[in-house]
Amino acid sequence: MACSKAWTRHVDEKILTEHFGLANLYEIEAYLERGGYRAVTKALQEMTPAGIMDEVKKAGLRGRGGAGFPAGMKWSFVPKTSDKPKYLCVNADEGEPGTFKDRYILTHNPHLLIEGIIIASFSVGIHAAYVYIRGEYEAVAQRLEQALAQAAQKGYLGKDILETGFDLDVFVHRGAGAYICGEETALLESLEGKRGYPRLKPPFPATVGLFQCPTVINNVETLANIPVIIQKGAPWFLDKGLAKDGGTRIFGVSGPVVRPGIYELPVGTSLREIIYTHAGGLKPGKKLKAVIPGGMSAPILKADEIDIKMDFDSLAGVGSMLGSAAVIVIDEATPILDVLKKVAKFYAHESCGQCTPCRIGTSWIHKIIKRMSAGHGEKGDVDELVRLASNIKGKTLCPMGEAASLPVLSLAQKFKNELESCLKDGSG
Amino acid sequence: MESAGMKIVIDDRPVEVEEGTTILQAAKQAGLHIPHLCFHPAFVPEGSCRICLVEIEGLPKLELACATAVRDGMKISTQSPRVREARRGVLEFLMADHPLDCPICDKAGECKLQDYYQEYGLFEGAFKEAKEKRDKIIKIAEKLILDRERCILCTRCVRFLSEITKTQELGVFRRGIHSEISTYEDAPVQNNYSGNLVDLCPVGAITDTEFRFKTRTWFLEKSESICPLCSRGCNIYVDYHPGFARIPGTAKIYRIRARENLEVNGRWICDFGRYGFPSLEKDRGDKILWKKEGRDTIMSWEKILSLLAEKLRPRHRAKNTSNIAVVANTWMTNEELFLLKKIFMDDLGLKKIFFADPKPGPEDGFLLLTERSPNARGAKEMGLELDSVSLEGLSQNTDILIIFGSFLADLHDPSSLKNVLDKIRTKVLVSSHRSGLESYVDFILPASGILEKTGSLTNRDGLVQKFSAVCPPCGDSRPEWSVLIELAKELRINAGYYSRLIQPEVILKEMGKEIAFFR
Repeated sequence: MACSKAWTRHVDEKILTEHFGLANLYEIEAYLERGGYRAVTKALQEMTPAGIMDEVKKAGLRGRGGAGFPAGMKWSFVPKTSDKPKYLCVNADEGEPGTFKDRYILTHNPHLLIEGIIIASFSVGIHAAYVYIRGEYEAVAQRLEQALAQAAQKGYLGKDILETGFDLDVFVHRGAGAYICGEETALLESLEGKRGYPRLKPPFPATVGLFQCPTVINNVETLANIPVIIQKGAPWFLDKGLAKDGGTRIFGVSGPVVRPGIYELPVGTSLREIIYTHAGGLKPGKKLKAVIPGGMSAPILKADEIDIKMDFDSLAGVGSMLGSAAVIVIDEATPILDVLKKVAKFYAHESCGQCTPCRIGTSWIHKIIKRMSAGHGEKGDVDELVRLASNIKGKTLCPMGEAASLPVLSLAQKFKNELESCLKDGSG
Repeated sequence: MESAGMKIVIDDRPVEVEEGTTILQAAKQAGLHIPHLCFHPAFVPEGSCRICLVEIEGLPKLELACATAVRDGMKISTQSPRVREARRGVLEFLMADHPLDCPICDKAGECKLQDYYQEYGLFEGAFKEAKEKRDKIIKIAEKLILDRERCILCTRCVRFLSEITKTQELGVFRRGIHSEISTYEDAPVQNNYSGNLVDLCPVGAITDTEFRFKTRTWFLEKSESICPLCSRGCNIYVDYHPGFARIPGTAKIYRIRARENLEVNGRWICDFGRYGFPSLEKDRGDKILWKKEGRDTIMSWEKILSLLAEKLRPRHRAKNTSNIAVVANTWMTNEELFLLKKIFMDDLGLKKIFFADPKPGPEDGFLLLTERSPNARGAKEMGLELDSVSLEGLSQNTDILIIFGSFLADLHDPSSLKNVLDKIRTKVLVSSHRSGLESYVDFILPASGILEKTGSLTNRDGLVQKFSAVCPPCGDSRPEWSVLIELAKELRINAGYYSRLIQPEVILKEMGKEIAFFR
């Protein structure tokens, strides 16, 4: 695979990317040699489902997909007494612009995810798991399929896993390229063969999910953290990160930095450290202008705001979000209007169209920005963008309303002067 | 499980509702209207239009009134500044993507988007960009036209076809601002309920060719009535244009719409009923005629009824009425059939009344029934036998024949009808429609159409439904009940009894006294 170059740098102790340097880690033999599937063995043979859930809760593992919901708590919402089958859906529809962490896990260490899937399923009492993988990740999906086949061959999947009587089948489902299908309920609809429209909540997927059955939906990276929690215990994991936000994060740094790539670092590492120490700072001659800290939907931070811990609560505290921990670096030479145009175009293009504010609002915003970009901006356009984005924010059916409006709001507010300088003056 | 009362407060109004009630329903109970577009009580809430957002005390976000169940102690505001701003925002978005071609839109005047803009909008347009261009004339069914520019994607049409008819001919295609309602690969909407999509559409996106560009909704008088085209007795609205004073011929029924009655038809009517109404207005007979020796003479009601009475009276006096035959039909109201039975069987002593009804048609498995007349059950409950009339039975020893309705012409071919009728000396036709029977009879009395009269009908399930005249009688026509009462007066039978029965309602009350079923 083309991406087996130097895509990660070793810093401190790793959880997910520890053996990424190995060229054939995705082969089960190599993975077993490195101690693979010991967590599964331990979980299934030595632990109880409730014990596992407890351990995950104690580990403070928060969802890595973007919303940061505590994973153990999510599992515990699944009703214990339901007579319906339960499902696990693995969200591998990595569509948030700037994000490429799950692709690395799936490509280089698919067995780590499979281990996570087995342990999670065992804990919740699930016998069928679906990996909903982004349509564009064709080769990645093939690699995952291969890994699943190997795991099944070794007896880690299928009937009576490790002679414990636990059965589990894992299916790979490729999406068709819609951003919205990364939203968990739209993902379920898509998996059921329907149009990827988000569902109204409640009911929540934990009670009424896939095929109307109780369902857990976890991100790839979230599940990939499970084996180490089982093997090394919750305190160890928690110790890696912060008090309520354990472990590491894979930060995907892109933009004009010296060494773009993924960096697995403790939760709470400062944004400045990520950019300047790990990614090597900006390329010679470039000056930092702004950073989008958590995937494109995260509100932008200005250059003077990067002395901040990269964890859910710290970023929420400054009005942004950690999201998928995709760090997009923007340099002084990049006009903010261009950034805004990209953002607006993306959300107008990816709005599923189900609810009014997002369907029409994103398109309206995009039209204004296109006009500004073509040199026909008028006085008041920036304020209008803020007004329209505010009318989307919080009023939509799914979180995409926030995803689409927050970056526009933050760009328009924080860079108002620059944006207004592109407008025709009052004579307009 | 016993449902506990939930005490909530909406806009400072305390309300107590059952558990599971949504905010929208609770507000309705409190007499408050929360605007909504995608929500329809017959479907699972979708929550996509976002116009019904309300503020709940203690919750950070605005919540959907259509899909949020109330909780005890909830305090809801439907008019707070935040709610009004959000509502305005949604309206502004909808208007930005709407063609505003209200002057030529058939929905204008009863369009939810118009109404809500008046009530909650009234803002200056801020949309300076180019509007999306979409197809405006897409034939999605035999009678339905879809205008994608007007469509607000509430998906009521899609959900009707998936949840009610389960035929699923429509879906949402494409994405984002390009989303559009469409049929699947040009396979049209093809079911007997397609017309309901026009009623359901909150804007003018789905219109039907029967109504399109024909009139403006504000000219129409909307009256409640009962569909006569099968024995289901679906509740309908009849939208009638009373005509412009100086332009003759402008009075007209323009459309039939479904009226909610959860006991009978839910919220729907079938296309057979909806689009059957023009046939009710066609081929109307409106003149009182005596075809004396081959020449048509126009008569007055007084004259013709006294002529008929003269023919009947001697036989009544002689107690020899065996040569009189009457053919009725079950398009006649309960009151009319009752009078018919009263006069001809009880007073004149006829053994039976013959019936000639429309031919039965196929059931559609939902609302439309085999019996294509509205009151067969009513006739049966009066003890009338509905065996279809045979021509032989009719002609035996018949001297005077009185035919109500025109269905005899549908049941028998003209030549055999003529053969039989030629043998009968006096033939009277009381009919609302021309059918060819006119040429074989001597007296023609124009009856009012079913939408021109007042009365009641008993549907197949035994529900007696009253209805009132929607429009004035056509030409010189009169409803059969009035013709029968006048005839009874002319015959001078039981005068005290019939002179009291001045209105269908009085007749129904009298029926109740005599027949337990109508009590």
